Amino acid sequence: MNFTPDLIAQLAWTGLASSSSYCLFALAFALVLKVNRIWNFGHAGIMVVAYFSMLVAFQYLGLPLVLGLAFGTVATIAVSVGLEKWGFNVLRNRNSSTLTYFIFTMTFSQFMIYLAELIFGTHPKTLFASIMSPVMLVGPIVISHWDLIAMATAAALVAGLWLFLRHTREGKALIAVSDEPELAEMYGISKQRAYMVAMALSAVLVTAGMYLMGTKTPMYPATPMNQYLILAVIATILGGIGNVFAAGIAAIVLALVQSFSVLVIPSTWQVLLLYVLIFVVIVVFPRGVVLKLPRRGPARAAGALASQPADHAQGGKP
Amino acid sequence: MSDLKFTLSRRALLAGSLASLAMPALIRPAFAQGEPLRFGVADPLTGPSAIFGEDQMQAVRWAVEDINAAGGVHGRPLEAIIVDHQAKPEVGIAVVTRLVQVDQVPAYITAFSNVVKAVAPIANREKRLMLSVGANSPDIKNLGDYVYTTFPLADVDMRALGTWLYTNQEKRRAAVLYVNHETGTEGAKIFREAFTAAGGEIVLNESYEEQRSDFTSLVLQVRAANPDVVHIHSVVSDFTAIVAQMRQLGLNMQVTSFQTAFNPQMIEELGAGAEGIIVTALAPSVEDNANLPAFLQRWQDTHGREPNGLPYTQYWYDAPHILARVFERVIDSGEEITGTSMRQALLDIGEFDLPLTNKITINPDHTVQAPTYFWQVKDGKFQVVGKL
Amino acid sequence: MIEFLLTLAILAGINVLLASGFNLILGYGGLVSVAHPVFYALGAYVSALLSMHLGLPVPLAILCGAIFAAIASFGLSLPSLRVSGDYLVIASLGFQLGIVHIINNLEITGAASGLSNITSVIEGPYRSWIYAGVVILVAALAILAIRWLVSGPYGRAITAMRNDEEALAGIGRNAINIKVTLFALGSGLAGLAGGLYAHYFLFLTPDQFGIFASAALLTMVVVGGAATVRGPILGAILLTLLPEAIRFLNLPVAALGALQGVFFTGLVIFFLFTRPEGLFGGKTTGGLQAWRGSTAVRPRAKEAK
Repeated sequence: MNFTPDLIAQLAWTGLASSSSYCLFALAFALVLKVNRIWNFGHAGIMVVAYFSMLVAFQYLGLPLVLGLAFGTVATIAVSVGLEKWGFNVLRNRNSSTLTYFIFTMTFSQFMIYLAELIFGTHPKTLFASIMSPVMLVGPIVISHWDLIAMATAAALVAGLWLFLRHTREGKALIAVSDEPELAEMYGISKQRAYMVAMALSAVLVTAGMYLMGTKTPMYPATPMNQYLILAVIATILGGIGNVFAAGIAAIVLALVQSFSVLVIPSTWQVLLLYVLIFVVIVVFPRGVVLKLPRRGPARAAGALASQPADHAQGGKP
Repeated sequence: MSDLKFTLSRRALLAGSLASLAMPALIRPAFAQGEPLRFGVADPLTGPSAIFGEDQMQAVRWAVEDINAAGGVHGRPLEAIIVDHQAKPEVGIAVVTRLVQVDQVPAYITAFSNVVKAVAPIANREKRLMLSVGANSPDIKNLGDYVYTTFPLADVDMRALGTWLYTNQEKRRAAVLYVNHETGTEGAKIFREAFTAAGGEIVLNESYEEQRSDFTSLVLQVRAANPDVVHIHSVVSDFTAIVAQMRQLGLNMQVTSFQTAFNPQMIEELGAGAEGIIVTALAPSVEDNANLPAFLQRWQDTHGREPNGLPYTQYWYDAPHILARVFERVIDSGEEITGTSMRQALLDIGEFDLPLTNKITINPDHTVQAPTYFWQVKDGKFQVVGKL
Repeated sequence: MIEFLLTLAILAGINVLLASGFNLILGYGGLVSVAHPVFYALGAYVSALLSMHLGLPVPLAILCGAIFAAIASFGLSLPSLRVSGDYLVIASLGFQLGIVHIINNLEITGAASGLSNITSVIEGPYRSWIYAGVVILVAALAILAIRWLVSGPYGRAITAMRNDEEALAGIGRNAINIKVTLFALGSGLAGLAGGLYAHYFLFLTPDQFGIFASAALLTMVVVGGAATVRGPILGAILLTLLPEAIRFLNLPVAALGALQGVFFTGLVIFFLFTRPEGLFGGKTTGGLQAWRGSTAVRPRAKEAK
């Protein structure tokens, strides 16, 4: 096949633009993993909430863009924080096992999917009537408005998150809790509050990602579960677990690798590549993830998942 | 409709969705008297394929109403027991087992190739007549003695499309994109064979997994291959996503597909991007069928739109008519109504004159022949542009 | 109607086999894998293909399928020696989705179209009676074997491993050995269940063995009570029969799928929070709480005490 430089450039550009949502999903997932120490498979359910609350806002209530986004964000934050408060917190207090979290988060996602199917039906839906976005030509490269909006949104949110973690009290508290929850408490930082803030932040990221997705492609209630969640999980693993921004970068790289791998691998086997990656990275390089576990004594234990690498080389190193 | 159903659909209404909940499980006879003649219907009413299943069930309900209003079969009304198989094989097995073993229907109708294949062993084992209406995997003709299709399989319309594109539309280079499941792989294969047999060249052949949403790389492969026609064999939401992403990247070449793309929602979502898309249909158009305008009007009056997958709904409207004829024949012959006698009657009649699909011949080799119609989107509406 | 009940009995029996085998790995072993359906799939496909293409007698084919599944479990049990807890969950997820994806794309398995025309066994009017009898017998034998296994000295070794690997070494048992054995036994049972399924229902599709199947199995084990013998049996029977019972309520058919989904996922969440030990687990002896503070699942929890 004849792939000219023009085409490669286009592949890179469009691939980069499309990876914006994936980047946001990965950040959201990795943030909760880092702070709350939960592999939150419930993210798919949160994505469903984000998507359908925006759908209600735009299509049924006819709200203008800004109000609709606000409506979606508030609803998603409410559900996310509720999930922490009445879900994770209860399990944490009981010192529940990994499996309990897994079952709970998976089931939560499925519950939301079924609920959305029950209320909204199972037809594929888009946030607005049309999914076409105006385009312009820059040299040989086609650039759509959607591309620009997606990249700007992702960039703004990543920058915002970075500044928040690094320069605000609340953000520093998050970092402190994720590093040493018990120690942080001794310094008067509320663990509980940090957990909720992390969930709220991830809800904002998810809502933005779902808005971008919903304006580009038709969606079923089960799409987030089948598509977006797995990529966020893999990106988090590749990013080195506990390193939030690296997960975001890994998501972009993954999306691009998937785009470019069509040059070498038949698309049928592309998906397999992802699954093999999960398995191999976890099993063959667990030293990268598991054995760096600091043995910090009793302080860390309650509620902690085995997910914290020693080097919290995250953007906001205090 | 029971109270429960009513509250549910009202709640759905509040939430803004009229579509999915208002389906009664049983279609009660209207005018005909006597013991009802019952048959089963299994189709997706939830899940991604419900967009077709719902409209197909509307067609079945209308057909049963109409047959009963005209006196039923020797005065006995038809009764359809409708169940939801979600287009999932394992669900299909569960619900069809119930139809056969609990409701004891002598015959049932179903669709969607993967489910049809999964439930065929039940028909053969329990000796019930099974009609496949709309599933088009070529394997369906080999599923056993009790399994018949009333709908031409993919080797009919995809063969026709491949040939027609080469000879009538002078297309020489085709790219084929298909979803990696039953319908996609089989349909795409036949299209490729037909197009190359006609003399064309397949310049790209790629599959993708169901529910994928980003098609950038596929679309750019299309651009690199530079075909003059792109055939997309997909489920409906992928189709719109792929075409949208093609059009966005400035790929304005001819796009073709099959009956699943035959729906108004696709045109709405793609807007101008839908212009020129050609889809195949195996049911006659208004020019060839006198009853069709009234059928379309009925959709407008009841739902304010065209049905999704119009040709499918034509076949589904006609399926109860086929069963009515079969019931009639068995009763006339004085035999007991069983799957075996129904099957024999179906083969004895062989040729059916039907309201919306004209003349259909059910061959003993389990195939059906029908002409293929080609429809093209022009000014936001489907119009017939050819027939083969 | 009786035919229908027999079909349900067969399905319930198969689910009992699956859930009990899963419980062996998950409940007793504390090895948190979600990949159980993939061994079910391997047993089903291998058995079906052997009988179809090599003409192997069905019982022998089913046996081969079970053995194949047991051997394939090394693919997961060996990694489980290196990683545990969250990491094992994720690795097993990759393992499962990867294999299902391969089945989904191979010509010989019928790919995404599914495998039809599988060799049937036992013909005639009593097919379902006989088949139901066989399945129930097999399930009963498996349960007895599991009970014998977990109540004996080996059972104590398993519990010891789950709770504290060092203590295990103290009583002269090898944790590696136990993990691999549990995986092989549990997966072998799943393979057996797969073969039984394939030759009765005569159709297989990769969709059946994905993440939703994992969730269903987890539900059976959790609702019944993990790490108890009776729990998964009850869970499996309950979760096979309840959806069918719901169908008899004559709810609007279009809402049924989603309603069932909401109901069952809601049920699981309810159980997780109100009765995490399951229907049959004692407050301390079974269910999810069995692993509280266990080394296999939560490496550092012990230090908290």
